[in-house]
Amino acid sequence: VSLGSDDGFQLFVNGALAGERRVERAAAPDQDSVHLHLPQGRSMLVLKVVNTGGDGGFALRHRPAPGELAGDLWLALLPGDARDPGLDRRLVAAWRRHCSPSYAGRAAAVASAEQQLAALESAIPRTMVMSEDPAPRPTFVLQRGEYDKPDPERPVARDLPALFGSLPDGAPPNRLGLAQWVVSDQNPLFLRVAVNRLWQFVFGQGLVRTSEDFGLQGEWPSHPELLDWLACEFRARGHSLRAMLRLLVTSETFQQQSRRPAAAAAVDPDNRLLGWFPRRRLAAEAIRDQALFVSGLLVERFGGPSVKPYQPEGLWQEVAMPQSNTRTYVPSSGADLWRRSLYVYWKRACPPPNMLVFDAPTRESCTVRRSSTNTPLQALALWNDEQFVEAARVLAQRTLAERTDDEARLQLMHRRCTGHALDDQQFAAAQSLLHSLRERYEAAPADAAALLATGAAPQAAAAPADDSAALLLLGSAFLNLDATLWID
Amino acid sequence: MDAPTPDRLTRRRFFAATASTLSGALGVTALASSLGAMPRASSGGGPQGPHFRPRCKRVIYLHMEGGPSQLDLFDYKPRLQEWYDQELPDSVRGGQRLTGMTSGQSRFPIAPSAFRFSRWDNGGDGVWISELMPHLGAVADELCFVHSMHTDAINHEPAITFVQTGTQQPGRPSFGAWTSYGLGSDNRNLPNFVVLITQGFGNMQALASRFWGSGFLPSQHQGCKLRSSGDPVLYLNDPAGVSRADRRAMLDLVADFGRRELARTLDPEIEARIAQQEMAFRMQASVPELTDVSGEPDSTWKLYGEEARQPGTFAGSCLLARRLAERGVRFVQLFMRGWDQHGNRPRRCGCNAGPSTGRSPHCCSTSAGAASWTTRWCSSPASSGARSTARAACRATITAATTTRDASPSGWPAAARAPGPPTAGPATTATTSWPIRSPCTTCTPRCCICSASTTSASSTGTRVATSGSPTSPAP
Repeated sequence: VSLGSDDGFQLFVNGALAGERRVERAAAPDQDSVHLHLPQGRSMLVLKVVNTGGDGGFALRHRPAPGELAGDLWLALLPGDARDPGLDRRLVAAWRRHCSPSYAGRAAAVASAEQQLAALESAIPRTMVMSEDPAPRPTFVLQRGEYDKPDPERPVARDLPALFGSLPDGAPPNRLGLAQWVVSDQNPLFLRVAVNRLWQFVFGQGLVRTSEDFGLQGEWPSHPELLDWLACEFRARGHSLRAMLRLLVTSETFQQQSRRPAAAAAVDPDNRLLGWFPRRRLAAEAIRDQALFVSGLLVERFGGPSVKPYQPEGLWQEVAMPQSNTRTYVPSSGADLWRRSLYVYWKRACPPPNMLVFDAPTRESCTVRRSSTNTPLQALALWNDEQFVEAARVLAQRTLAERTDDEARLQLMHRRCTGHALDDQQFAAAQSLLHSLRERYEAAPADAAALLATGAAPQAAAAPADDSAALLLLGSAFLNLDATLWID
Repeated sequence: MDAPTPDRLTRRRFFAATASTLSGALGVTALASSLGAMPRASSGGGPQGPHFRPRCKRVIYLHMEGGPSQLDLFDYKPRLQEWYDQELPDSVRGGQRLTGMTSGQSRFPIAPSAFRFSRWDNGGDGVWISELMPHLGAVADELCFVHSMHTDAINHEPAITFVQTGTQQPGRPSFGAWTSYGLGSDNRNLPNFVVLITQGFGNMQALASRFWGSGFLPSQHQGCKLRSSGDPVLYLNDPAGVSRADRRAMLDLVADFGRRELARTLDPEIEARIAQQEMAFRMQASVPELTDVSGEPDSTWKLYGEEARQPGTFAGSCLLARRLAERGVRFVQLFMRGWDQHGNRPRRCGCNAGPSTGRSPHCCSTSAGAASWTTRWCSSPASSGARSTARAACRATITAATTTRDASPSGWPAAARAPGPPTAGPATTATTSWPIRSPCTTCTPRCCICSASTTSASSTGTRVATSGSPTSPAP
C-alpha cells in the first residue's frame, strides 16, 4: 500500500506491526509505502495515525505489486458484454497509463519539460515590488487605534501631517510625492536628521542626542548652528554621504585625543561639547567583520542571498514550531562563512547570538540608536565563538607565514588588530606569554592540534603546531583588546 | 573599585530620598535613568544596584507556553453544566472578535469542564483545583490565584508579547529585564535574568527571543538562556586545547593592556570591561557548579521527581531555577512548551501528566515545589519586612504563568473576579479546526472527553472566558 499521514503512523495487519514511521509532517498521498503480506481470506488492517499538532489526516491506497493488475486494468477480467462504453474508456485509459511504452515515454517528456520550466522559473531572482493601487483605498481613523474598528464618519485623505507643511507643488499624493517632499531642498527636517545621524555615526552621539526623535520629546541640539550648517553642506554637496563623512573625519574635532582632560570632564561630564574624542565600542557587525578582515578571511563579495555562518547547535529548534521552515539551522559552507555580517541571515525569533550579545537590535522595531553595554557574555563570545577562534587561528597562521621572528610577528599581528605598534612594555608582556604558551603546546601536541582544528578555513601546512597554537591565543588576546574593539 | 564615591552618589541619593513618594521601584529607576543619573559605566561589574531597599528579591516565573484552559485547571464553574451545549450569550461574548479557527462556525455552544474539581483550604479562603493538577492542592495555601488576567490579543505571539512586556507590539523590555534593571545584581558570577526552555510535546507554539529581550533597556538586562545541551551558557566553554591556565594567562595580558589604555585615556569603561572579563572567567567555573545537581540530597528527588536528574526536563529546569535563586539570580523564567490545547485537552491538560502520555506526573508537584521555594526565597526574613508584598508579587507571577491567552476565543479577556466560590457565569466556548470532541453524552460528563460522540458544531472546551456577571461586556 502507498500512504501518507499527518503526522506519524503505524500499520498493523491482523494485529502484527507491518510498518511504522515516526515523523512530523503534513499529509500527502504516497509519502511512504508498506509492503503487506496478506494471507488468503479476511484480514484486518489497522492504521494508527499519530498527530502531534495542527490538522491531522492520512491518505491510503493500494499499490499493486509488479505483475498484478494495476488501477482499472481489472476491468479486463469482466466479460465483454458486461462492460459498457464508460467502463471501456476506463480500461483503455488504464491500459495506456500502465502498459503503453509510447504513452509512458510521452508522459515522461511532459513531466521533464514541466520540471525544466519550474527550475527555470525558480532560478529567476524574485523581489517584492510595491505599486500604487489604481484607486486609493478608502482609509478611516481607527477608533482607539483598533485595526478592526475604522470610523466610517472620519475618512482620511493622503497627505502630509499638517505639522510638516505640504507636498511640493505638483507632487502626487502618493509614495513618489512623499519621496519628493523628503529630498526637497525646501525641507530642512530630512537634511538635519540625516546629518545628525552621520554625526552620531562618527562621534557616538548626535548633535541632537535623540536622533530618532526631532519632535516634542526630542532634545534640543547641542550646536544648532552647526547642525544647520551641516544640513546646508549636505544639500550643497548633492546629498553625498561620502563627502559628508570625509568632512567629519577630517575635522579637528575628530582628530582630538581621547584622554579626558580633568577640567573639561568636570564641567561637561557627558562630553556634549566634544572636549575630547568620545571613545566607543564598535558595533556588533563591525566587531565580527573586523576579526574576519584582520585574519584575511573576509569575503567582500557584494550582494547575493543571506548567509548562515557558525552558530551553536540547536538554537532554532528550541523556539521554532515543529512545522517551521526555519526549525533547523544549517550553516553555510565555504566563502559564505566569512561574508560581511550585513549578509547574515536573520531569524527574528532567534537572531544570531554573537550579534545580539553586542547590542545589535532585534529588528522588531526601527532602532536608530543602539545601546552599548558591557557584559561577561561579550567576553565569552569573543573568546569562544568558533567564528572568532577561527579568525584568531587564521590571523596567527597568516602572520607566521609572513614574518620569521617573534618580534616581527607580534608587531604585525598587533598592528593589524589595533593599528598601533606594541611599545616595549607591551612587547615584553606579549613575548613572555608567547614563550610560555609555546612551551606548553610543545609539551601537549594533542592540545595544540585540537585548538588548531577550529573552523573550516584551510590550514596552513608548513607552520609548526606549537607555534601556531601559541600565536593563536595571542591573536585571540589581541582581538579582545580595547584598542581593537574601541574606536579611539 | 566597587565602592561608589560620594560625589557619584549625589543624584542617586536624591532619588533614594524621594523614592518613598513615588509609587514603585520601576518608575523610580526608570526616571533616574532617563535623567541620566545612572552612570553607564558599571565599574562593579554587572547591572547597577538599586538605590532603595527592594521588597521583592527574586522571581521564578513558570510560563506554560500555549495557553491551557483555566476552566479545566483553576477556574471552577460548576453551573456551566446547566449551560451545556447552549448557545453562548452575546452578553458574554460582548462583540469580541473571533480567530480564523472559529469564525466559520455556525454556532458557539458552551462546553463545561469535564474534570473533577476539589476544594482546598488555601489558608481559609478556599481554592478549587481540578483533578488534572493532582499535586497542586497540597501546596495551595502557598499560592495566590489571580483570576483577572486578560489580554486583548487573540493569537499566541502578541498575547505572550503582551504578558511578557506589557504591550502587544514588540520592542519593549520584558518582565525579567525590568526586574534586572530595577533590582540590580545580587550575584557576581551569574547573569541576572536567566531563561530556561523545556521542550514539550505536541502542539508547540513558537517562542521568540523578544519574550526575554531587553527592548530599549541596555542589553545586559536581556534574559540569558541556560541551555540543557551544548554549552549551558552560549560560548561558555573554552575551545578544545585551551586550559583554564591558558585562559587566565591570556586574560591577564588583555587586562594588562587594558590598564595601560586606562592610564592613557582615563576612560572608566575600560575598568568596567576588565571587570566583566573577570566575571566571564568566574562564570566558566560557577555555571558548571550550578548545573551539577549530583550533590542534591535525596529529599530533592522526592520533591522534584527522578525526572529532575535529567537536564532539559521541566522538573530539571525547576530544580535549576531553585539553584539559581539560591545563588541570587534575580529573575528566572521557565518556558515549557506544548501547552497549546485545542482538541487534545484530556491528554495534554494538567501539566501533561497522566498515564496516556507516560509523562511524569511529578512535574506538577515540581512546579509546586519550585513555587514554594520561590516564596521562601523571596520572603526570607533577611529581606526586611514587606513580606506580604513580596509573596504576592512572586505568587502572582506563578499564577500569571498559567493565564497566557492564545488562539481562539481564549484570547478573550478573562474575568476579573476575586478567588472564591464561583458565581454563575456561562463560559464561552472555543471550537477548533480539530476533530470535534465534546463531553460524551453516554457517560457522565465528568468521566471523559469522547472524540466519537457529538454534534457537528459542538466544541472542545474552552480556554478562557467568562466574566463575573453574564451581562458584563468584555472590558
